[in-house]
This record gives sequence, structure tokens and C-alpha cells, in this order.
Amino acid sequence: MGEWVATATHRQTRTFLPPADFCPLCPTKPGGFPTEIPEPTYDIVAFENRFPSLQPEPPAPAVEASELYPVRPGIGVCEVLVYTPHHDSTLAREPVEQIHKLVEVWTDRFRALSAHDFVEYVFIFENKGEAIGVTLHHPHGQIYAYPFIPPRIERELEQSRAHQRETGRCLLCDILSNEQTDGRRIVAENDSFAAYVPFFARYPYEVHIASTRHLQALTDLGDAERRDLAALLKTVLAAYDKLFDLSFPYMMVLHQRPTDDGGDDYDYYHLHIEFYPPLRTATKLKYLAGSESGAGMFINDTLAEEKAAELRAHVAPVVWQTNRAAGEKSGEEADVD
Amino acid sequence: MQRRQITLEDGRYLIFYTFDEETNASPESDEEAGARAADSGRRAEPEAEPQATEERRV
Repeated sequence: MGEWVATATHRQTRTFLPPADFCPLCPTKPGGFPTEIPEPTYDIVAFENRFPSLQPEPPAPAVEASELYPVRPGIGVCEVLVYTPHHDSTLAREPVEQIHKLVEVWTDRFRALSAHDFVEYVFIFENKGEAIGVTLHHPHGQIYAYPFIPPRIERELEQSRAHQRETGRCLLCDILSNEQTDGRRIVAENDSFAAYVPFFARYPYEVHIASTRHLQALTDLGDAERRDLAALLKTVLAAYDKLFDLSFPYMMVLHQRPTDDGGDDYDYYHLHIEFYPPLRTATKLKYLAGSESGAGMFINDTLAEEKAAELRAHVAPVVWQTNRAAGEKSGEEADVD
Repeated sequence: MQRRQITLEDGRYLIFYTFDEETNASPESDEEAGARAADSGRRAEPEAEPQATEERRV
């Protein structure tokens, strides 16, 4: 198939849904259970995963390679990002200021991990909810720094490259322009980003957030754009939770340019975030069954236009408690169209 | 934004991120989240039966 699979057998013993008193991502309280984070409080923390799928200094493979079955050490980096010391929170419930901080940390980790010679792609993501298979409830995300460009990204790069070759334009810029003109699939937007259910949504409540400016990575964002990204993330996450009055499960993935230079500046690619929620109703899951898993073709039982309208009905203004530009409390509402 | 890196007992790194401007805002409680949901206008309509079968090119 031309794709790599990571074998990480030590992950079978990783911590699985511990009780809140023994959460490894909470602060370590004086005299209390020693968690992964050896201080009584923190703001945002990044650390190397105790159970990594990829490691900077990986052990030798457990099996020998052959001509038919190539094998190589699982080199890379796996980090955990803990969003908040509050165990019972979620990213959706965090104030927009905290999400803004997270965007800044994402940007810093992308820059830092990109500097490794062995890293070709930095993948930032969050799995949220037991429906997705999370093993820890404490609000957190992950970063995988891969030694190659993963297949899903490679496919997007190929399509973006082909579109630019054929039209001279960026594929995602064209998609965004089409969505903003059409309007039916737009969930919310601000000066720097738009959130929409893509025309080709695979999941009923799939949402993409794309920068209105043609950018390739978080490191290309300016201050106002980072703030706008935080506001739109808050908007989408809050709408998700309001949709069925429950803490909405999802996979959230950041798609950025690869980090190897390889003679390609990836100028044809476009930064965006994708959400894949597994729910198709409040109580029913969208399964990746035969067609999706075996053939790679998704069947979506819903219309993107209808799902976007449902989410749009739950969009509310984002309130900033701190006006960073003025450095004072403001109660400012962000623009959400 | 400031970074403070430490090394854990098993050799892994851990980075504390702190920020110049702190906010007193705190996460929403269950009650707040519920109240906000109740105030947010109409609930999503029950899912309609699928009315379209089509291929949308990705």
C-alpha cells in the first residue's frame, strides 16, 4: 500500500480512564498523587508522551525487515498538550483567552518540532470523548511529529498542487470563496477565518476552519489572526456543545504544510483545521464501516447544507474578558457573522 | 509567552507555558453550560430522513 504502520506494543498498558483522583494530567497537589506534572498548578503544559508511538531515539525494531516487508525504527516525537489544570473542563468550556493561549502554544510547538532534522510533518490534533476512544478525560491534545508526510496530507498536497497547475489558483482559496459566496454551508466567520461544513463532508457535523488569507502554517499568522482563530474555535466548539446539549465528541486536526524543505515551499497549500465528530444524532454514531474502511468511500446520510444550518442556529457571540490590545478588561464581543 | 522546560525523572522533557496577561475568566460549570444551551434559541430539529443520494467529489 505504500503506507507506514507504527507498531507500539508498550501502549497496550497505558493508563485507561483512571478515576479523577488519579488523573495523570492534573497538577500534583502537596502530599497528593504524583501526576505527570510535578507542580501544584500550571497554565498550559507540553510534555513527551509516556507511551509514545514514535520516539526521538527509538529502540531497534523487534522484527527483521525483508524485501517484501520493510521495517525501520519508529523515529519521531509524540507530545501531550494539557490545555488547563481544570480536570472537568473541556476546550469548549474554556474562556476564549485560554484558547488564544493554546493557539500560541500550538505555534511554538510547530516551530520547535519542525527544527528536528528527522521530522517532516508536525501533526497537531485532539481526540475528545469516549466515543472517539480517549483514555484520559482531562482536557488535552496531542502532537505527532512524523518522519514522513502522512498519506492523508500527501493526498491533499497532490490535489492542491494539481489544482494550482491547472488553474493557477489555490484549491482551498477557491473552496473558501465558493462557500462564502454560496453561504449555505457557512457556520460562522470573522475577519481572518471562516468555519463551514464542507460540500464534500464525510461526517454529518464535519466542520472545517480555514484562514481567509492564503497561509501555509500557524507560524504565518499575525497577532490579530491568532486572536480571530481562537474566537472562531470557541464559536464552533460552543455550537457543537449546544447542538444536543451535551459535551460533543470530536477529532480535531490541524492541517499545515510539511516541515521538510525538500526544495518545495508548499505555497500551493493552505492552512486549515478539520473537525470530525462521530455523532450523527444525539444518540447515534457514524461508524466507519465496510465502505469507509474497506473502500475508502464515505457515505454521509445527511446534507451539508442542513447540518450547517443546525450549527449556525447555535452560534453565539464570543466574549473576551481581557482586551489584549488595550490590556484591560473589556467584555468585548468578537464579530461573528 | 514564557517557556520553562524541566526534565522528568525518566528523562522526558516537560514545558510549562505561562503568559504575561492573565485572565480571571474560568471554565464554564455544568450549570452555566446548560443554561447557555437553554438560552441559545431553537434546538436542532429531529434529523430528517435522508432525501438525497449523490456523490460529492472530495
